[in-house]
Amino acid sequence: MKLLIVDDSSVVRRAIERDLESGEITEVDQAATGQDAVRLYSAKRHDVVTLDITMPGMDGLTCLDKIVEINPEARVLIISALRDKATAIDAIKRGASGFLCKPINPSELKEAFKLLIED
Amino acid sequence: MDDNDIQVFINGVRRYFDSIKRDVRVVIEPPFIKDEDKPFLEYTGIIGISGKAHGAVCFTANGVMLENILRFLNETPINRDVICDLVGEIANTLSGNAREEFGRDFLISVPIVSTGQNVRFQFPSDSRNYVIPIIWQAEKAFLLVCIKQDTR
Repeated sequence: MKLLIVDDSSVVRRAIERDLESGEITEVDQAATGQDAVRLYSAKRHDVVTLDITMPGMDGLTCLDKIVEINPEARVLIISALRDKATAIDAIKRGASGFLCKPINPSELKEAFKLLIED
Repeated sequence: MDDNDIQVFINGVRRYFDSIKRDVRVVIEPPFIKDEDKPFLEYTGIIGISGKAHGAVCFTANGVMLENILRFLNETPINRDVICDLVGEIANTLSGNAREEFGRDFLISVPIVSTGQNVRFQFPSDSRNYVIPIIWQAEKAFLLVCIKQDTR
């Protein structure tokens, strides 16, 4: 299973990778910007994408639109500090499969990931 | 900004530090107003606020606290770049979480990170500067909330 982690914070990217470490994941890519994420996803079509929203350049919701444009079945889990319902609803409407708020709770992250890959 | 608004940020601080390690208690001292000489420490993450409010939210801490947080997160190696990344991410999390109360029009920028006491950022001159003192593992940090809500 291929995982793409998108966040402008390297600390967050590595924390997500550590939290999701399992035998199921065979390949992990990381991107610090929306542009890099779209480029990587376009080339490799990862099974799961975790995606931040507030990033320099292309924001996460625009990045989500582009990923969904490439693959309407993409499994994208938003992980954002933006703790308002309107943003979460918007993300789901635009094609996200789930929405988690930062700070990241490792148990919630593992559970969300499990639900995503079982879907 | 009023006491209820500041409570939103206090809740965010508690949530953040509880997420690192629940049995290490964070102490949040009573907030105070300090318009001059903002109490910047070694590292400061600054988030610009726009939309329904304008100003900035800053998280400022010394390296020791930030290194301790990184150890709890099992981050290695710990260096200046990683510390700067973390202080920006904490500021981002505490600002973004405030949208739970202030809503989607409370727009936050990506973090700007500054080191040392001379923080170069144009803070609004027409807003009060609330300081929330934070003590975690005997180290002190501050959350500075310098926001004016737009009446337009």
